[in-house]
Amino acid sequence: MRIVPRRHSYEGLAGGLLAAPAAACLIFFIALPFLAALFLSFTNYRLGSPLPLEFAGLRQYARIFGDPGFIRALLNNALFALLVVPVQTALALALAVLVNRRLRGIAVFRTIFFAPVVFPLSLVAVVFTLIFAPGAQGTFNGLLELLTLGAWEPVDFLHHPWLALPAIMVTSIWQGVGFQMVVLLAGLQDIPRQLYDAAIVDGAGPWQCFRHVTLPLLRGPLIFVMIVTTILSFRVFDQVRIMTGGGPHHASTTVLFESVQAAFDRGWVARGAAMAVIFFVMVLAVTLIQRRLARQERT
Amino acid sequence: MGSFDMDPIHVERLRQNSPGYGGKLGPLAALALLLACSSLAVACEAGKSEKGAGILKVWCHSGRAEEREVIRRLVQEFNESSADLRVSLTIIPEGSYNGQVQAAALAGDLPDVLELDGPFVAGYAWRGYIAAIGERVGGELREDLLSSIVEQGTWGGELYSLAMFDSGLGLYARRGELEQAGARIPASAGEAWTISEFEALLENLAARDEDGAVLDLKLNYRGEWYTYAFSPAIQSAGGDLIGRGEGGKARGVLDGPQSVRVLRRFQSWFEKGRVDPNLDDRAFVAGRATLSWAGHWEYARYKQASGEDLVVLPLPDFGDGSRTGQGSWVWSVTTSCERPAEAMRFLRFLAEPGSILSMCAANGAVPATHTALRRSELYRDDGPLRLFSAQLTGGWSVPRPETPAYPVISSVFEEAFQRIRDGADVTRTLCEAAAVIDREVRDNRGYPER
Amino acid sequence: MMARLLRALGVYALLTAASLIMIGPLAVMLLGSLTPDEHVLASVGRLDFCPGELSLQNYADVFHRVPFWVYLRNSFLINAVIVLAGSVVNGFAGYALARLRWRGRKLLLGLVMALLIIPFEVIAVPLFFQLSFLGWRNTLLVQAAPFVAHPLAIYLFYTFFLGFPRELEEAARVDGAGVLRTFFQIVLPNSKPAFASVAIVTFLFCWGMYLWPLLMTTAENVRPLPLGIAGFHTLPPLAWGDILAFGVMMIAPVLLVFVLLQRWFVRGVATTGLGG
Repeated sequence: MRIVPRRHSYEGLAGGLLAAPAAACLIFFIALPFLAALFLSFTNYRLGSPLPLEFAGLRQYARIFGDPGFIRALLNNALFALLVVPVQTALALALAVLVNRRLRGIAVFRTIFFAPVVFPLSLVAVVFTLIFAPGAQGTFNGLLELLTLGAWEPVDFLHHPWLALPAIMVTSIWQGVGFQMVVLLAGLQDIPRQLYDAAIVDGAGPWQCFRHVTLPLLRGPLIFVMIVTTILSFRVFDQVRIMTGGGPHHASTTVLFESVQAAFDRGWVARGAAMAVIFFVMVLAVTLIQRRLARQERT
Repeated sequence: MGSFDMDPIHVERLRQNSPGYGGKLGPLAALALLLACSSLAVACEAGKSEKGAGILKVWCHSGRAEEREVIRRLVQEFNESSADLRVSLTIIPEGSYNGQVQAAALAGDLPDVLELDGPFVAGYAWRGYIAAIGERVGGELREDLLSSIVEQGTWGGELYSLAMFDSGLGLYARRGELEQAGARIPASAGEAWTISEFEALLENLAARDEDGAVLDLKLNYRGEWYTYAFSPAIQSAGGDLIGRGEGGKARGVLDGPQSVRVLRRFQSWFEKGRVDPNLDDRAFVAGRATLSWAGHWEYARYKQASGEDLVVLPLPDFGDGSRTGQGSWVWSVTTSCERPAEAMRFLRFLAEPGSILSMCAANGAVPATHTALRRSELYRDDGPLRLFSAQLTGGWSVPRPETPAYPVISSVFEEAFQRIRDGADVTRTLCEAAAVIDREVRDNRGYPER
Repeated sequence: MMARLLRALGVYALLTAASLIMIGPLAVMLLGSLTPDEHVLASVGRLDFCPGELSLQNYADVFHRVPFWVYLRNSFLINAVIVLAGSVVNGFAGYALARLRWRGRKLLLGLVMALLIIPFEVIAVPLFFQLSFLGWRNTLLVQAAPFVAHPLAIYLFYTFFLGFPRELEEAARVDGAGVLRTFFQIVLPNSKPAFASVAIVTFLFCWGMYLWPLLMTTAENVRPLPLGIAGFHTLPPLAWGDILAFGVMMIAPVLLVFVLLQRWFVRGVATTGLGG
């Protein structure tokens, strides 16, 4: 039957039609402004300045790489990704394993663990500002004092050069772990029981079951979760803005925060745009590397 | 794989059960479409502001509840009293006010009359957002306005704004505790404590205090506070944030010897633990701190807590005489206003003693005209807050730098102050801050006249 | 038998401990919202909330201070448009990318992957100029439009449709249905979990959006909830109780949506998340 050629062009039309609105929106609302930002990064544009726009070549880029705040931001973002991704994934896996049972009321716990995801990050940041408050008034300080039986000296987490960034990490992990848990839980529930039964028959203990049955079969969801978390961990902004303001002295600043602060607080749009471009290149590189590694391991 | 069965029989059953266009999915999709369309319809309608002859669009910030009440009442009064002119008021949240107004300005979407924070006048004037009103103000009103108000609203020799109130800044303390420490109580700005007297007092009070943190600098505040409250200390030593006038630089001034000396003193207070972090904003009220470096807006709360014992004192004299801050919200006419004469009518109404006094009764600020000042219970010559008005009229107050670079100066100074508080090297911090400010001015070609 | 009981108890203990950590901050928020403003910071610190002092005063204050219902209505409308229109736009595109062959397919896929990385703050300023120039300020539409087509949503739909059983579609084709009919009559009705889960994820992302409304609105009748909270950030002392009450009321609808759609969501995530 000669359906094939007709179908092909019909399919082509249908495909194009279905995808057209999305493509148009993506180009108009995202791609176009990004290209504009790219263009602006090569100029001296300042918000609302009546002075004429000038081409500035790579000057913005040179300036930001000479700025200790930006360098520290790059470092912080790297630290964030390196620490938060494994820790959050491990915690999510632990919770998923914990919840993957047929105990009474397990669904309630599952809902509770997911609940933090429902909160906008800005609200979470406000609440955690109270929790990390210095002195005996802060919940966290109070808790630590209780746990160490009074040996803990109250600390101002959000203004501490070493503890500010970890405080933000804790906030992010708290908010995000529930989402990953649900993804990993679904993956866990898809692993056939027979495999575990077979392994136990072969004499495997719980840890061996985990390493040789669970982990390999969880590869897909794990990789998905890690890639998404990595991308999201680069976009840390709300917490920095609300909790620490990037301080003390850039100890907790991130690239996105520096970019927004430059563009909106000081009106240095061109500089903010240059930072955003660097950010894009950085995350793109990391994502590509991650996918390359994931694909290699699979083969 | 997925949670779908691959069994062919199951697939067949699914296919048979799948509804066509008119099935279960249809009505749902139609409903969704209807909802989306009606939302869009509402979306296009909502938000279009009133247009028409005789309507004045006015934006103001949403301060405390009492202030909002007052401004609403004043607008209502104005509308009732004027037959041909109506004011349409939009109140914008304080937390996002500057951001939203700037965005609107960039989009060419400003109203007729705009309230803005005093130090931003220079920037807005340079960018052509607000119009000069000097000629429309007239001699009589100009004479009546406090000199600080006129100074704040002037840029490039032209007057761009007027205000209903100005701010007061000083040291709050309790008489009983001061007498216990054997300190004298300055009666006016001229009698302010010298800095050595002040530091001796700090040590004296700390010795008798639980944790030695006797001074409240309102460190829980963010933003403008740092420049507003602490640059007067620098100015009191003879230094400044930036050279005033055309071509003024920050280098040599912000990192000059006087500024460095003053901020070193502040740093020593932090190091010795004399300053309360004030997280719950109750250091003074709860009695933890004896001295509170604060503005007029705290008077009501402090008075309620300390009663008759409360005294209001000038800031210490760092060498060149006590200095204090000034400036607050101001009103201006935008360049997109097509009826500036009528806009001016509304501004005049706001500057009437009645209007000013009702606003000042709500927010406790210093009235902006001499006429209103004389009638104010708090601020007239025998009122409890006469120190604040005396400071403003007697030349003890210094306006924040009137330059379009002000937002950068303020943000950079706040950052520098925080770093100094955390123990950074004062000279280097101020040096770096000055470099950033100067680069900003240079990048803008020194803000040439349009 | 005893061992199993002990193990179950152990698991419950762990679960409860974990729950306390997850729920803790929420409890803080709820209890803080019921506490008078001046005592919030002190109570939060020592977790010492006096039952006697709890009251709904803060909630009353919120309604008194800001037009909460207007903000709620606006947020609801904006998000409804984003979620509903987004489901259509992103879902259709996801299917077209996963199942159909057409010119530009690879290009769009690459574009989606690249744009996935770009956070909104980066394009906010240029987009602001673009849309202000078109005169779209101060509308609900402009607060929704840029977020309707979202790379992440498209990607989720894409991986979901990749895993969609071909047998269903092929059976329909054998019966003579064209591509579009197959899509609307066979694929869509069987994809409800995916749509539900993407709807929830989109909703969660967009409900708390602050920067964009800040740039694009000044009028009060189009102001959404997150911008409303800025009204509480006046000169200190901040009314923490009011702020927390506002926060609780702000997430109550989201929590409700989640609790109702939870089952769908979990099923949906299961199928979208396994694309890798």
